[in-house]
Amino acid sequence: MSHQNGVNQPPRAARKRAVKGRALLISRLVRRDIRLHLAQALLFVIAIAVASATLTMALSLNGVTNHPYAATRAATKGPDVVGYVTAPQAKNLIHDTGVAASSGPYPLASDTIRFDGRNADALVEGRVTAPAAIDRPLITAGSWVRPGGVVIERTFADALGVSVGDRVTLNHKSFMVAGIAVTAAQPPYPNLCWGTAVVSLKIKGGRETSDQGACANLNFVGEQRNVGLVWMTESDVAGMVSEGHGINDYALDLRLPNPADAQAFANIHTFVPGRSLALSTWEGVASADALLVNDQRGVLKPGALLLTLLAIASVAVLVGRRLSEYARRVGLLKAVGGTPSVIAGTFLLENLVLALIASLVGLMVGWLVSPLLTNPGAALIGTAGAPSISLSTIVEVVGVAIVVALVACLVPAIRAARGSTVDAMNDVARPPRRRGTLIRMSRRLPIPALFGLRLVARRPLRALLSAANVAVTVAGIVAVIAFHADVHSKLSIASGLTAGGLSDPVVNRDEQMLAVITIMLIVLAVLNAFFTTWASVLDARRSSALMRALGARARQVSSGLVVAQLLSALPGAIIGVPLGILLFRAAVQAGSLPSPLWLITIVIGTLVVIAALTVVPARIGSTQSIVEVLQTEAT
Amino acid sequence: MNTTATAAVNAPPTVLVHAKGLRKEYGSGEGYVHALDAVDLDVSRGEAVAVMGPSGCGKSTLLHLIGGLDRPSAGELTVAGQRVDQLSERGLAHLRRDEIGFVFQAYHLMDELTAQENVELPALLAGYSPSEARARATALLEQVDLADRGRHLPSMLSGGQRQRVGIARALVNDPEILLADEPTGNLDSAAAYDLLRLLGDLHAEGLTLIIVTHDERIAATADRLISMRDGAFIDETRLTGGSRGNFGTFADWERLG
Amino acid sequence: MQQEVVLAMLAKEPSHGYELRARLGRALGPLAEGISEGQMYVTLTRLEKGDFVARIDAPTERSDRKVYSLTPAGQERVTEWLSEVSWPRPDLADFHMKLIVAAQSALADPISIIDAQRRDLLRRLRDVGHAVMAEREDSDARLLLEGIVLRLQADVRWLQACEIAWTKRRTQQ
Repeated sequence: MSHQNGVNQPPRAARKRAVKGRALLISRLVRRDIRLHLAQALLFVIAIAVASATLTMALSLNGVTNHPYAATRAATKGPDVVGYVTAPQAKNLIHDTGVAASSGPYPLASDTIRFDGRNADALVEGRVTAPAAIDRPLITAGSWVRPGGVVIERTFADALGVSVGDRVTLNHKSFMVAGIAVTAAQPPYPNLCWGTAVVSLKIKGGRETSDQGACANLNFVGEQRNVGLVWMTESDVAGMVSEGHGINDYALDLRLPNPADAQAFANIHTFVPGRSLALSTWEGVASADALLVNDQRGVLKPGALLLTLLAIASVAVLVGRRLSEYARRVGLLKAVGGTPSVIAGTFLLENLVLALIASLVGLMVGWLVSPLLTNPGAALIGTAGAPSISLSTIVEVVGVAIVVALVACLVPAIRAARGSTVDAMNDVARPPRRRGTLIRMSRRLPIPALFGLRLVARRPLRALLSAANVAVTVAGIVAVIAFHADVHSKLSIASGLTAGGLSDPVVNRDEQMLAVITIMLIVLAVLNAFFTTWASVLDARRSSALMRALGARARQVSSGLVVAQLLSALPGAIIGVPLGILLFRAAVQAGSLPSPLWLITIVIGTLVVIAALTVVPARIGSTQSIVEVLQTEAT
Repeated sequence: MNTTATAAVNAPPTVLVHAKGLRKEYGSGEGYVHALDAVDLDVSRGEAVAVMGPSGCGKSTLLHLIGGLDRPSAGELTVAGQRVDQLSERGLAHLRRDEIGFVFQAYHLMDELTAQENVELPALLAGYSPSEARARATALLEQVDLADRGRHLPSMLSGGQRQRVGIARALVNDPEILLADEPTGNLDSAAAYDLLRLLGDLHAEGLTLIIVTHDERIAATADRLISMRDGAFIDETRLTGGSRGNFGTFADWERLG
Repeated sequence: MQQEVVLAMLAKEPSHGYELRARLGRALGPLAEGISEGQMYVTLTRLEKGDFVARIDAPTERSDRKVYSLTPAGQERVTEWLSEVSWPRPDLADFHMKLIVAAQSALADPISIIDAQRRDLLRRLRDVGHAVMAEREDSDARLLLEGIVLRLQADVRWLQACEIAWTKRRTQQ
């Protein structure tokens, strides 16, 4: 060791040289192997990249907190409690000992708002032009109310499609949109009536109607979805109420000495439901704001889980193939004198490099796509543009990728450390299994079925892996379709929305996210199906060549490969259906399930796609020279 | 197993293999190889032909072409009356199944099938019913003296036994020709003699044989011995004369001491 | 060393004993060390007695200056010997010399000689092979016969190599 080029070297220098030499050898082996199996390496990277991207999105969505609401509350001097009260009740509340300050009461009215063929119900709040002490809506466009000029809450304005300067109709009167604003006092459209706010208003001649009226006869889980907030001058509000009736309801903004007492205060003062009035707390509004996000999470979380599962399944198939190749490489490297450390080092480095590249790519993709999903919404002041990915997210995503890389090289590393070289080279460790009954049974079947059944019997674990892959894929498709149906049914339940022509921001957001998830799912599902089928055909190369040598037609062999694939795909697809339903149910407890017809179509469709994907590599395989395949392939 | 005899009554072709100008090339650029260089060959029914030569001389390539396992780059090749160089994949598959029996040097048995199941396989491919296929397989295993090993997996058989399973498999559909690639290549002396005897019996029954071999013992028993080098035939010998059991001509050959 | 080898060497031209010894030395290399000039003269004398060779110089000359030449009978014997396919004892030198003298004397084509010999050996191989298979597995005769087969195999391979070498030599000329 201390003699290099015939010259005596000090031990340390010699060791350094040895380490350098080994490092060079390892890097050379790694580079060459990646180049030789470029396609496989690429697929490995893609699968991990997609998994990383999904993980990134899920993690960054989790990071969305209440901060946007807090910012809005501070900027608009948001109230701690809002009361929807009559005039005398307002007076009592203002002078209540628990109240530190108040703003209002502001007269309330409601009517239908129309714009450009769309219509919805509007809760109208009368204000003075001077800024209020509490609940000072923040103008984001235009200016504050003036006679004939209304200000519309931002989410509501988005849904209606109005901009500053447009003319809207309220109560058959035309108003100009003077401005658009955000507030922390009420939840944004369409959750205006959510939570503790229970308001009953007289509309249209004083009769309380129970149709799509504004917040009429509500309980705490608001389902009316087409009510939005509009501000106008107090005189304009007075004109809104029909003749003979005065303003009966007012909104009162309260500030308490301690904002944390808001819920306690509301509990004490809430009146018996009937002639309704109630108090909403700032925490309630905050949670209503978060509803948008939570709803999304309801779709994104299971969606992310699904995608991650699919990505893992694809990675598993690829890792499985790499493992079986590694076995022979371990033997070869040992035979030429590779020590266990060199061999383990080669595999580790290779997988690490690929996994790191993949995770970085995934992080970038996740970073780009996340804003679509994590934007807190028009209702709140939030940062538009790409959110910064937190350090913990980066660490977690890269960490997962590294774990995958380690798993992929753990087995060969162990094999390198022990096990006989000869055995490794001959891949003696795993001969194909024999299933006597299946083989006997298959004798009576036509050749493709005979071949397919025997292929499955020969490598049951691989068949199981295929089945698992298909199960995850089908589960994904079922869940996504269920989500789509659920979102659309929400749409039709949502009262008057489609009639009114407005876009539902929640549903919009849901649909957006669903679209993203669906696309990613389709990409992953296709990739996964492709890996699985291609891997199976490759595994069966020798058997296929031998069958052809004995006189089986190319088409018989291809059909046999398809049969083998379907034999493992069918149980997988069938299991995937309840799995997908379970996943969907975990997210949406009360959603409706896709019809059995849909489910059958999904199963059959998946099987057809898998069969089609098998045919391509099978055909290619059947054109290869029989002799070449027999000479190169071991069992 | 006298179907070859009955077949002869129905006037099938007497020249079973006819090759003219047969060529096979591989690779490109620097790696371009002329495996076979314009080879002509005629093999008559019932003939036993041995092909010898150093490694890389193209003898295995020739056998693969005749067996329909590979396509020639150029030239005419007629096997059992069919133009192999013009056959579709389907046609080749049928040829391999019905007319040709191929015995590989590496045996190429299916590891997960018993000897019996391995031998049955071509019969099942040819459409025989499972019971018929089994009957044929059993008869053939008897003929190759492996009747008691039908249920053994290849891993439980010796090299010579595996080779015999390979031969049985090659014969199960009553092919016109048996092609064997180095049949004694991996065998010890005793197993080789057994194989020699078997091949001799088959030849005596009228089977046409083309054997690629290093083994001079097999070559010596052939009707025709062809030597190859660099993808071409360099010699053709017919060994006539000399009688069995008469060792007088060389009785003085081995002088001890 | 068979007498026929010395006889055949004279087919090229009449020679002295020491010339023949020199040619033998060149052809056999180290194997010729055991053969002395004296032994050459003994063989030549024997051949003279059998009327296969004749001295063509004056009988009064000293013996080492004798020049020997083939008689017609000797010529016939050489031709016969060249076409003989009886296989000598495991001493390949004789066959080797046969090829060399055939080439040097242009009396026969070495390659044809090799071919003929090979064919004969193959026939023997076939016959002995049959004999082996006819014997019981544990018989003594079988053991001996298997040994003969092995040697014949080896000899056939050597003939193969000879053919390659002599073909090359021919194409180089």
